[in-house]
Amino acid sequence: MTDLLAHQEGARCLLMGNEAMARGALEAGVNVAAGYPGTPSSEIIENLANAAQNGRLYVEWSTNEKVALEVAAAASFAGLRSLCVMKQNGVNVASDFLLHLAGSGTRGGMVLVACDDPGALSSVNEGESRHFARLVEIPLLEPGGFQEALDMMKWAFALSEKIRNIVMVRSVTRLSHASGNVVLGPLPGVDAQAVFRYNGNILDPMEGPVISMPVTAKHGLQQKKLRQAVALFDASPFNTYTGPDAPEILCITASAGYLYSKEAIDLLGLEDRVGLLKLGTTWPLPSRLLAKYLALTHQILIVEEVTSFLEDNVKILAAGMGPEIGVKTIFGKTDGTIPSVGELNPDIVIHALLKITGVDYQGVPADYTQRAETIADTGAPARDLTFCPGCPHRASFWSIHMALQMDNRQGFVCGDIGCYSLAIFPTGFSTLKTVHSMGSGTGIASGFGKLGPFGMNQPVLAVCGDSTFFHAVLPALVNAVHQRSEITLVVLDNSGTAMTGFQPHPGLSVDASGNAVPGLDIARICEAIGAGVRVCDPFDLETTRQTLFDLLESRGGVNVLILKKRCALSPERKARKDFKMSVDQAVCLGSNCGCNRLCTRIFRCPGLIWNKEKKMTEIDEVICVGCGVCASICPSGAVVKKEKA
Amino acid sequence: MHIYGAKQLQEDVFGQDLCIGCGACIDLCPYFKSHNGKTTLVFPCDLSEGRCYAYCPKAEVDLDELSRQAWDGPYTGRSLGNFREIIATRAGKKMSNGNFQAGGTVSSLVASALKHHRIDAAILTDRDGLKPVPRRVTDWREVVRCAGSKLMVSPTLAAMNHGLRDGFSCLGVVGTPCQMTAVAKMRGNPMSKENFADPIALTIGLFCNWSLDARQLASFLSEKTDVSGIRGMDIPPPPANVMVIETGNGQLEIPLSEIKPLIPPTCFICLDMTSEWADVSVGMFEGRPGWNTLIIRSEKGAELVQQARDAGFLETGGMPVDTHMHLSNAALEKKQRSLRTLIRRELINNNNDKRSALRVAPGIVQKILGSKTERP
Amino acid sequence: MDHTIHLPDPFNLIITGVGGQGNVLASKVVGNMLMEKGLNITIGETFGASQRGGSVMSHLRISPRSGFSPQIPKGKAHLVIALEPTEALRVLKDYGNPKVNVLCNIRPIHSIGVISGDQDYPLLESLQKWIRELCEQAWFINATDAAITLGNPILGNVIMVGALAATRMLPLDRGRFESVITRTMPAAKVEINLAAFDRGRKMIDN
Repeated sequence: MTDLLAHQEGARCLLMGNEAMARGALEAGVNVAAGYPGTPSSEIIENLANAAQNGRLYVEWSTNEKVALEVAAAASFAGLRSLCVMKQNGVNVASDFLLHLAGSGTRGGMVLVACDDPGALSSVNEGESRHFARLVEIPLLEPGGFQEALDMMKWAFALSEKIRNIVMVRSVTRLSHASGNVVLGPLPGVDAQAVFRYNGNILDPMEGPVISMPVTAKHGLQQKKLRQAVALFDASPFNTYTGPDAPEILCITASAGYLYSKEAIDLLGLEDRVGLLKLGTTWPLPSRLLAKYLALTHQILIVEEVTSFLEDNVKILAAGMGPEIGVKTIFGKTDGTIPSVGELNPDIVIHALLKITGVDYQGVPADYTQRAETIADTGAPARDLTFCPGCPHRASFWSIHMALQMDNRQGFVCGDIGCYSLAIFPTGFSTLKTVHSMGSGTGIASGFGKLGPFGMNQPVLAVCGDSTFFHAVLPALVNAVHQRSEITLVVLDNSGTAMTGFQPHPGLSVDASGNAVPGLDIARICEAIGAGVRVCDPFDLETTRQTLFDLLESRGGVNVLILKKRCALSPERKARKDFKMSVDQAVCLGSNCGCNRLCTRIFRCPGLIWNKEKKMTEIDEVICVGCGVCASICPSGAVVKKEKA
Repeated sequence: MHIYGAKQLQEDVFGQDLCIGCGACIDLCPYFKSHNGKTTLVFPCDLSEGRCYAYCPKAEVDLDELSRQAWDGPYTGRSLGNFREIIATRAGKKMSNGNFQAGGTVSSLVASALKHHRIDAAILTDRDGLKPVPRRVTDWREVVRCAGSKLMVSPTLAAMNHGLRDGFSCLGVVGTPCQMTAVAKMRGNPMSKENFADPIALTIGLFCNWSLDARQLASFLSEKTDVSGIRGMDIPPPPANVMVIETGNGQLEIPLSEIKPLIPPTCFICLDMTSEWADVSVGMFEGRPGWNTLIIRSEKGAELVQQARDAGFLETGGMPVDTHMHLSNAALEKKQRSLRTLIRRELINNNNDKRSALRVAPGIVQKILGSKTERP
Repeated sequence: MDHTIHLPDPFNLIITGVGGQGNVLASKVVGNMLMEKGLNITIGETFGASQRGGSVMSHLRISPRSGFSPQIPKGKAHLVIALEPTEALRVLKDYGNPKVNVLCNIRPIHSIGVISGDQDYPLLESLQKWIRELCEQAWFINATDAAITLGNPILGNVIMVGALAATRMLPLDRGRFESVITRTMPAAKVEINLAAFDRGRKMIDN
């Protein structure tokens, strides 16, 4: 984390896109920021929370994205500047409130930052938040670089206050998690006062009650605000054109697509033939600006991630302006010039331009590529994702898998969102059979648990993490108890939002900025809801499995098993070995009948080495964190754990 | 005997619903586990040959090979297997009154064997509530605690595997015909282990026509009575045609017609009613309550019986020809029924790499199927 | 001394390794050192799930100009720093070219596919031979073993930064390293990181 307050105006820093956006919010004088952790968005709130320790700024990790948006909206209603941050699918969670907020309008500048993850580098979807801007009719901005990430945030706050509505800024992983040079601007003094005024007329945006009714009247006002935004967009500094006055091809792009397109044009030496129209304001489209550039040529290439949002909107605009700008050939997602799944890179744009222009390009000699591929195929074995060494989830899923297999009634586990989603893979013994959105594991399990009358007699389990529990599992759990669904929920409590970097959640007694807050006890909550609750240490494999048997065999409603163990990467456990592990080579059965490499072949902890020559297991001292679990699974007692002094 | 691995065992036995849950494969390795009467392969194992397959009584059992190993000759298909003598027995004075199903012969023989150090430990089946559980007993006085019929096959051989792992080298095993088959396979050292010494000093087989699926019986009984109050269970000889459950509140009689659907299908491919591979086999004496039928098969078995009788552990008596013939007929009928099922299900004597549950010389198959039950 | 280094524009550096090896820190340190030198830096990286045993890659675009893509075009790397040898091959497949240089830590980290026996980890001699075949110049050091002698294998990344400085492929000097880590790391860790940097430099000089 960079101390964003340490640098003065004019300083040139190497900032991550997320840091640049956080600094931009600080330079805009943001007063309140809220969010829910999610890659690639988390560093924005983290950096602001860090800055909040030194100034008059309130930052929280909220229970979920909808609550975060509501918390941030309150600040805006009270006249403050507020920011709400989430990853792409978080916008889905917040969208119900977002629709109504867009209808009621805002007061103090309010910005929603949505960080999308094209290619799903750290997601189980590559959903797009951009469509929400159009759906709920609010302005959308997309930074196309690091400096712009900072500058655009300031502009977004100002725009929000001009049109008195929320403004959405959309980033992508390759900007949020990339770094570049940024020159900082001044930080304003802080003198904001929070007052909520509500005594005015219902249609008074600044003094009346804040609601979306009367709906058609407010809706009309909202659309008027959008038209206002379009006028500002036509003159926005974030929409730029580079290229010849009469290009053969006009490449329209935004966000990271701009950087890829620029690089592609540069590499192909097409600066004289291809014009590059980079849009920073992508909804509503700046129609006058587009009319001007669309008129330059009939060949249009649209480069964007992931789906054809820009492309569709440009086509609609172009169709309406037909008589003025003429007929266009539009290359993009629809005709397959640019793929409509996965993230982009310079080479995808290069190939799109090659297809349109017919020029020749070879980045590297073909024989080199062929040889390198051949070598890498044998020389670089794939690296599948795995639970970290010492991860409590590996132990938890070991016990869950074992209990379900031994129970032998084709029981299954509905998964959820977190590191433990990896249990769809062999690292978690392929235990999960469904994975969808936050909280869905328990909701789906609740439904499965009611299928008994249709002949389903398979035991139904769900798993969730401690942060996910609060985020969206609670309503599903309430439902399961209330509907008498027969399920077992296993809470994999590793004391933090581990996947995204240990952000606190309502179960912990510390907040985003390190202040003491009341932590809510998951066990007591579940008991109060009416579930049977058990708590185990997942490293105690035997007790965990026995407890699971008890729960699987118990009849009557919902049981919750809390498997509690800190994440191996948590500050508390990191770099601390509980045990010094070793393998007694005289005892190790290796691949013989009686073991067949249970530890390396099945348990697969990265801290183990399978020595093919000796046919023995060894411990990789560099990787092993000394959790001791492999000693518990070794059938011959060959893995020895020695207590660390 | 052909030996394959866990993958094939999964296909051949679990996949065809042939697992009886005898425990032969349990805890030899981390992959096979037993829970509530069901045996499961918990993780895949890719070894091409494993003890799990080698010991399984439902996978590639070659009766000629077992017979040569046990009796130095090929499998003959005799209804009651190879034996020396059939007598009537019951517990002798030395045995305190246990919860004996019939005459207490098994407990008496095991107690005597332990007392006289013929074995270091006995592998028996105890009961935990309704659930039969394996038990290793080393003190002869504790044997009677495991007395009584279980009517369900328990993973008893897991206790044998544990015993071997714990270093016992002179074990006595009591079990059903399928369990005796597994023990016999194991004793033949099918994996050609170096320095193999037969660790089994005594095998006492039980008569068994069929057993009951533990899970199905538990769920069936839980609808009739409080399962935790069950103290014993028995199926008295015909013509009773009921199963008797002893509970805290007296006896509960359940018609056999309700019980029979709980018989696992694998019992219908079993040729062996009288534990033909054991040193001695013990069962009911139909028509003489309080007595058992004892088949003495091996020399070791004969010595055991002699010693138990001499020491007052066992009382013996003659066996009427009628009873013998009746038993023999019942055993033959089971062989014939099961052979027909094996043939229909293509589980026997398959060729061309198709694996079989059982291999028997074709002539013997014909001989058994062609045999007539004897009439006195 | 640094003035003698003539960089292509942009200079494309890839730092690769396995999640948990400190890839991101290494790229930040190098990026900051070069930025203080007056160059513009773009760093593209993937992390998140990749902490969990996956391959990690940082792309550094180094130029007097700015506005480069956070992803290097295929085949356009000038230098690959691999914290793990098989990762070097993986990167060369996509970003290598006959003129590329490689600085490689030879300490293997087995993937779970290798641990499970589904895949084979190549012999170190083969890896070095293949890497040499695919690049113009290669340096191999055992940064992890050296880091262990300094007390913590995680220092392997800083040892590699020290080694990078010694290759003189980029204008990186000790003073700049010291100023960057003093600014970005807790005071208690500065000394050991300086020691790691020096150790790395020596491993190339020798």
